[in-house]
Amino acid sequence: MKVRVDPERCQGHTLCAMRAPDTFELSEIDGHSSVVAEEVPADQEADVREAVLSCPERAISLIS
Amino acid sequence: MTTEDAAVDDGGRKHPQVHFDRHTPDYRDRFEDITHELHGRCPIAWTETHGGHWVASGNREVFELARSAEFLSNDHDVKGERRGYKGISIPPPPRAREAQGGFLEMDPPDQRHYRQTLNPYLSPAAIQRWIPFVDEVVRACIDEKIESGHIDFVDDLANIVPAVLTLAMMGIPVERWTIYNEPAHASVYTPPNSPDMQRVLDLSRKMGMDLMAQLAEIRKNPRPGLVDALVRADINGRNPDDGELLGVCALLIGGGFDTTTALTAHSLEWLSQHPEERSRLSRERKTLLDSATEEFLRFYTPAPGDGRTITADCEIAGTEFKEGERLWLSWAMANRDPSVFPDPDRIDMERKGNRHSSFGLGIHRCIGSNVARTVFKRMVTAVLDRMPDYECDPEGAVHYETIGVIQGMRHLPATFTPGERLGPGLDETLAELQKVCDEQRLAEPVTVRKSTARIDT
Repeated sequence: MKVRVDPERCQGHTLCAMRAPDTFELSEIDGHSSVVAEEVPADQEADVREAVLSCPERAISLIS
Repeated sequence: MTTEDAAVDDGGRKHPQVHFDRHTPDYRDRFEDITHELHGRCPIAWTETHGGHWVASGNREVFELARSAEFLSNDHDVKGERRGYKGISIPPPPRAREAQGGFLEMDPPDQRHYRQTLNPYLSPAAIQRWIPFVDEVVRACIDEKIESGHIDFVDDLANIVPAVLTLAMMGIPVERWTIYNEPAHASVYTPPNSPDMQRVLDLSRKMGMDLMAQLAEIRKNPRPGLVDALVRADINGRNPDDGELLGVCALLIGGGFDTTTALTAHSLEWLSQHPEERSRLSRERKTLLDSATEEFLRFYTPAPGDGRTITADCEIAGTEFKEGERLWLSWAMANRDPSVFPDPDRIDMERKGNRHSSFGLGIHRCIGSNVARTVFKRMVTAVLDRMPDYECDPEGAVHYETIGVIQGMRHLPATFTPGERLGPGLDETLAELQKVCDEQRLAEPVTVRKSTARIDT
């Protein structure tokens, strides 16, 4: 499963990093999110799916 | 609220029509009923109140509107130099007291430059560094009351901590928090025609004068913090004057004080009413505190919405808008949409998929959101640890009569089993913290100072 954050939509709500801190890292300057790696390890899939649903801007997408 | 067969105008475009007035005790008392009525019949509706405006309450509608940045303006054109738009307050403040509310009432590019200037002071990484400082203020506030067995969670804790931290981050001496505290709250909860309004205006004026003095002082003798960043800022090629910066400072204070207080007070009240949930939160805080915080944010939405002006004729989410029309984006009502939040009027500390809009949506997302979450969690954690059996007194709790501007509380008295002091009282602690702040230059941006505050206790 691959995950991506749309940098145009991300506004730094930080909910993704709360849910799946191993997958999403936040800019130290503005708190905007980017993925640590596109490919999601199996043991993080559930958290990443939850992160997708938690983003108020719907900025995160999954590609199975 | 009634759905009226109102006289149609403009070819019947302004429909469905409702009577909607958020500045009434009725809206507060019947918030859930009104919300679900609007969701069911007209998630975007026109109302003739307050000069006539659209109100968006449905989650999908609010999301699409907030994202239609090219058709929505936050601009508050006080001097009438641009298109005369009236900013984010519906109704706008009276002419005599009109002032631009900082970058929240600006559009890009200036808005974007302000955000970029202040981001390094307010990012998650920046706020993390302040945690020991916050904990020390919380400790002192609780110490003032811990031996008595009585506390008012608003007056004695939730009003104080956000005020002290905001001033510290701005580079303003923290002992001045009392000059800022009362007007920051009173200007929100005092109705415009109240006999108390003159007192509130006087306090606000004193606060404004102190802010101007701080601005001038920091221009002359720089000290680190948000104000320093502002006085040196390059905003799209210009350095803003103190008049404009006064509006920005008022925004930082207005955004930082009353909202965090509101969230904390409501949440502590709810936890007192649900002692089993409170125990669970305390026991399972490692896994539960984050999601519980988001759920309290969703349910209580301290800043319930913002106004916009439509910048061009357009169609969004099935409604035709005309240039110049006013629109109220209700974050609070969108947060109760059952299509996104099953069983929306229930607090579920473990709620999944909680994509609430309590900090807004889009480019104006609350720049203080990381401050709010951190300060809230530190206050609640300390209360759970030091006064776990607290009982709020329902007779003494004072909620704001109307929730059109901030969904807030004035007082929340409680009793608890007394405990032991851990350190010095508030005044002595603030004096110590000021020294720490100055010596360690805590208010520098995270790009300059990465280390966490060191408080030796």
